[in-house]
Amino acid sequence: MPLDLIQCITADEHDLRNQSIDALCQAATGAELLAETERLDQFWRRSDNLYARVRALFFLYAIHRFHLPHRPEQVAGRGRTPYVGYRHLLARRFEEAIDHFRHAARQDGLSDNLASALATAYHLLAFQTLANQVRRSVRSVAGNQWMFRVGHPSDHPLRLRPELRQTGPDQTYPLLHETTPVRMDLSHSAWSDIFFLGMDYPEGARVLNVSIDLGVRGRDQAPRPPVEAYLRVIDEPVLRLTSIDLGTTADVQHLHEVFDFARDYLGLLKAAVIAAGLVPPGLEGGEQPLRDVLEKLVGSGQGLELVSQVNDIPKGSRLAVSTNLLAALIAVAMRATGQTASLTGPLSESERRLVAARAILGEWLAGSGGGWQDSGGVWPGIKLIQGERAQPGDPEYGISRGCLLPRHTWLGHDAVSPAVRDRLQQSLVLVHGGMAQNVGPILEMVTEKYLLRTEPEWTGRQRAIDLLDTILTHLQQGDIRALGEATTANFYGPIQTIIPWAHTAYTESLIQAMQQAFHTDFWGFWMLGGMSGGGMGFMVDPARQTAAKDFLQQTMTRLKGELQHALPFAMDPVVYDFAINENGTHATLHSGRDALFPPAYYAMMVPRWLRMDPRTLTRTRRAELRYIGDISTRRTDFKGLVNQLFERMLPDRGAADDRQESLRELMHRVGFDPEQQEAIRRDLRSGLLGLAQNRLPATTVIEDVEPTDVIDCRQPAAAALAECGSQALRNGEVAVITLAAGTGSRWTQGAGVVKALHPFCSLQGRHCSFIETHLAKSRRQARAAGTAIPHIFTTSYLTHDPIAAHLARVENHGYDGPLYLSPGRSVGVRMIPMMRDLRFLWEETAHQQLDEQAEKMRASVQAALLNWAQESGEGRDYTDNTPLQCLHPVGHWYEPANLLRNGVLRALLQARPQCKWLLLHNIDTVGADLDPALLGQHITSGAALSFEVIARRIEDLGGGLARVNGRPRIVEGLALPREDIEFRLSFYNSMTTWIDLDQWLALFGLTRDQLDDEATVSAAIRQLGATIPSYITIKDVKKRWGHGHEDVFPVSQYEKLWSDMTALPEANCRFLVVPRPRGQQLKDQAQLDGWLRDGSAAWVEERCDFND
Amino acid sequence: MITINKAVVTAAAPRQRTLPLQTLVDRDGATKSALVIILEEILAAGVQEIGVVIAPGDQAAYADAAGDYAGRLTFIEQAEPRGYGHALWQAREFVGTEPFLHLVSDHLYVSATEKGCARQLVETARETACAISAVQATRESQIGLYGTIGGRPVPGFTNRYDIECVQEKPTPTLAEQTLAVPGMRAGHYLCLFGMHVLTPLIMTLLEEEWAKTAAGQNLQLSPALSQLAAREQYLAVLMQGHRYNIGLKYGLFMAQWALALCGADRETILADLVELLATRPG
Repeated sequence: MPLDLIQCITADEHDLRNQSIDALCQAATGAELLAETERLDQFWRRSDNLYARVRALFFLYAIHRFHLPHRPEQVAGRGRTPYVGYRHLLARRFEEAIDHFRHAARQDGLSDNLASALATAYHLLAFQTLANQVRRSVRSVAGNQWMFRVGHPSDHPLRLRPELRQTGPDQTYPLLHETTPVRMDLSHSAWSDIFFLGMDYPEGARVLNVSIDLGVRGRDQAPRPPVEAYLRVIDEPVLRLTSIDLGTTADVQHLHEVFDFARDYLGLLKAAVIAAGLVPPGLEGGEQPLRDVLEKLVGSGQGLELVSQVNDIPKGSRLAVSTNLLAALIAVAMRATGQTASLTGPLSESERRLVAARAILGEWLAGSGGGWQDSGGVWPGIKLIQGERAQPGDPEYGISRGCLLPRHTWLGHDAVSPAVRDRLQQSLVLVHGGMAQNVGPILEMVTEKYLLRTEPEWTGRQRAIDLLDTILTHLQQGDIRALGEATTANFYGPIQTIIPWAHTAYTESLIQAMQQAFHTDFWGFWMLGGMSGGGMGFMVDPARQTAAKDFLQQTMTRLKGELQHALPFAMDPVVYDFAINENGTHATLHSGRDALFPPAYYAMMVPRWLRMDPRTLTRTRRAELRYIGDISTRRTDFKGLVNQLFERMLPDRGAADDRQESLRELMHRVGFDPEQQEAIRRDLRSGLLGLAQNRLPATTVIEDVEPTDVIDCRQPAAAALAECGSQALRNGEVAVITLAAGTGSRWTQGAGVVKALHPFCSLQGRHCSFIETHLAKSRRQARAAGTAIPHIFTTSYLTHDPIAAHLARVENHGYDGPLYLSPGRSVGVRMIPMMRDLRFLWEETAHQQLDEQAEKMRASVQAALLNWAQESGEGRDYTDNTPLQCLHPVGHWYEPANLLRNGVLRALLQARPQCKWLLLHNIDTVGADLDPALLGQHITSGAALSFEVIARRIEDLGGGLARVNGRPRIVEGLALPREDIEFRLSFYNSMTTWIDLDQWLALFGLTRDQLDDEATVSAAIRQLGATIPSYITIKDVKKRWGHGHEDVFPVSQYEKLWSDMTALPEANCRFLVVPRPRGQQLKDQAQLDGWLRDGSAAWVEERCDFND
Repeated sequence: MITINKAVVTAAAPRQRTLPLQTLVDRDGATKSALVIILEEILAAGVQEIGVVIAPGDQAAYADAAGDYAGRLTFIEQAEPRGYGHALWQAREFVGTEPFLHLVSDHLYVSATEKGCARQLVETARETACAISAVQATRESQIGLYGTIGGRPVPGFTNRYDIECVQEKPTPTLAEQTLAVPGMRAGHYLCLFGMHVLTPLIMTLLEEEWAKTAAGQNLQLSPALSQLAAREQYLAVLMQGHRYNIGLKYGLFMAQWALALCGADRETILADLVELLATRPG
């Protein structure tokens, strides 16, 4: 039967519509696939149905990403992507990019590189189309539209309710107080609450959502609604925004500040101000003073104060704290402006729906995004939330199958009795495991897999839908044990089938510990949402709940201690106390002495007021201070306030001093060279070093290599080469060096974990770290050769101790061969970046433009960071973080060189004097192994260094193999004079290098015999190092604070790179083209899913021996 | 066909009771009180019996302001200010069992046709034989000042609507959800014009609402109008004319300009305006 993917898209019949594209494509020939891409491309262009377009785009993506690259008869192994198309891609002009790429394919034939470019463009266009539709739907919700039409303060239609404008006899204004629970998803919806899914597959979008009060065990006396918002009138024409939890307040005086979300930590409050219509989105860009808006809204010379508090509930709880906070702020502001019928009490159903719609709008404005169930805390108790088919009259009708907003069905006490609710509360232990991870990539993966109907995931989704019914039945019957079994089945079944990355080694360890400790009293695990490791639930026999809480607290703390270098923990784990909230969001109005904010607000604000001239205090503030004085001795919640005030006004400097001391100790211990640091700083400040100075002279001639410059090793090699390599292996002439000094800035967005230890993937049914995977490959080759193979991991001050401790704990993962750690001997202190470098990075270099709102956010963040760099002092040492986050390794060029200095190579050669060949590779090049044929190739070529390269794809950025002034070498991306040059280069550097040990030593001017002479070795390294360029780079570093909060700062560091060895004229280098699965580096966790699906993971698995 | 012989003007609201007593120059160039202009609007519609609901103690001032028309008026006192609906309900005995024309006293009207606004409304009411309110398309930024209707166009007419509900001074948020009328420009709603022909059922509905009104609360007209729409046919007609709320900031000033610019002194006023603009101080 001929391939007909369009039928899959347009068919109404369930069986046709829901066919797996992978299965269909695997059965097709390459020519059929190419022909189908033509038809699909024409189809999406002419289709006016949103989901038909989007599915066609996803099909095109999948064919180009996963299927055509495996059809070498249709796709050339080497090719180029037109730079102009890439520029369109960066500028989000995806359709033009596709046109350029297709034109190039018609002209030159489709290559692997072009296929990757087309896949990326189709993928991005599909998501842009979906996101645009959600935005249009949010704007078109009745009740939201007017806010986009208000273009001038004179048009502002809202007025504050009179009850809030009337002062009491004491001259204070009433205070409106909104309390809102958070929500937990009892079913884990298999992410079916993603807007895109709900709008295309409303029948499958269902969740069981419970509003809950929370308390942190051991800290809070009892659970209470964790989210609070306050609003009152003030006698100043400003918008005063205060986040108690973040300790931030600001008086907003200009319209543009309201729309500047990243200026401070008040972005969420600003989004609420806009989404609630206080400052309608239509006013963005207006030049009028905010005072004019406030005059219309409140009165002449008056303003508003909006305060938020989430009672220190940590970020990443998977309880949708931020969405419910947004909803609470919006609700309080809508009540205050008469947009709800009642000022106080609960909301009506239509009002709740509108608050939910406004919260979606607010999330879009602030550049964040959750699911449609996240504002569930606005509703009371337990409810079934389901997608709703679009009907005539709905704005979505004719565009998507489902509506933007779902339908909430409240499950009253007749459906779930009070006794059952009690049993649930007595059985369930809610925790925050301490991990906080970005779930954005997961949500994209879920959407993509749904739209492609990939077979296992689609089956998993159907199973998740069935499990929801099971969970609901057990809940209604009050069988909590069976409910626990169902949530566990959901976690190990559909959830991990759809997204394997939702599970972590940490979670698995916790579950196993619970099983061992509680046996049959452990009823089940329940993943709260997003991904595990943060908010999680454990169901136990109610009689054991207290014991389970104690056990989980201890176990999570212990496991965090063991895994904190391997996984990105943002905070210490906590156990919650919780209770079902039967009110939903609820407001009260307070006046006179009762119109007070929480004590933490005054602990933050009173010191500021006391520093002001008393004559400038407003009458309201004077009255408030009098009240605080009165009640601070009488109200229990205010009793600790006086102490807090003293602590705030006279802060203890101890912690900051300790940090400085600890950093100095660390620098001393790891061999920091202050003279080198000062020299770099001097050059950085004077402009001799910098991002722009990294580049080669503009007159440099850089061209793609000739076919004769590389040896193509992608096809099976001659038997003689393999035998040559095998012989060397059998003779014990080979060792492996894995570069493991880094923390993977991109891998965990600067979280500072040891990448080598990160359990990045499940291989052969186990969570495997990079280090374990590399050892498994060496083990396999060692067993094949019948000899032990030495494996060296180079480390740095950041990674040495954790790797050493880990290997000791796991007994080297049972690795038989000698295993060495090569500690780093070079370190630098990160520096506050130069503003010119930040501008160069953000303005001069190409970067992916984001969608409209996210781009605004990014611009705002960048402005704030420029300000930070200026205020902190450009070029100064970066010390305002944990000591380990302030230092940096100085580039992987030093890592092999350190082998000479730290005695590891000497020790290796003493034990293995026959060792002649080294395989050096990066920690994240998971496919690299001691392939005998490649080793044989290297040996027979006589090269000093054989660098492995792969055919470039569009995502391979950062330089590559080139002829520089006529000589083949690897050139780093940051050294290229122009960015378009990279797009002329066919091969990308994998960093994997075969080394002839003696020739390499000769480059230093050394022989084996001289390795004992420390002075000679040091001088040799210095001498060769002087010929290698130092690059300035900007890296992101996370600073953690508060309860799971993180800030990311760009910092300057300098480094020398291994690939610049190819530039040495005396180095005898070869370049081997290897298969992509071997040379692919895993730099970003978002790559993992594609890596798993395109067969690369299986390729690696085949080369591993885990000693099971 | 119904007959409309009576009109009720409400003028008892505490903050509005002096508004009709202010003096303006009417279209004919004569100086009159706002009350007289309203009364002449009613009389031009062919309605002769007029009841004016006033606050206690205001009768003398109103009689004085009514000038030659004072003798035609029946003054009805609202003993305590309990809202607009309550004020109208005080006229229940005056209207008896007949349909009646109702105008507020803080609005002045300028018709775009030869016929006055009240006359347009009364003629439409006679034709439709049901309760009918005059409405005006109003931008959403202004709807917080007026009662606003939700409804659907009457087939075959471009200016008549079947009223489904009435909301008093809604926010645009509520208006978008419940008061959108097909055919209206985006962001525009049909707001009450301050001029209605009502059937006696409204008095019954007000009585029912009053029975439910708690002590200290006011009785509004809009909920009763919504009830009216549920109980019998109730239409809205888009007026060919404009209303001017003289209770707003610069409201009286704007009303005066409107009257002057469509009256006998138009040329003089325009000339004066040009001179003022040319020589304005500062």
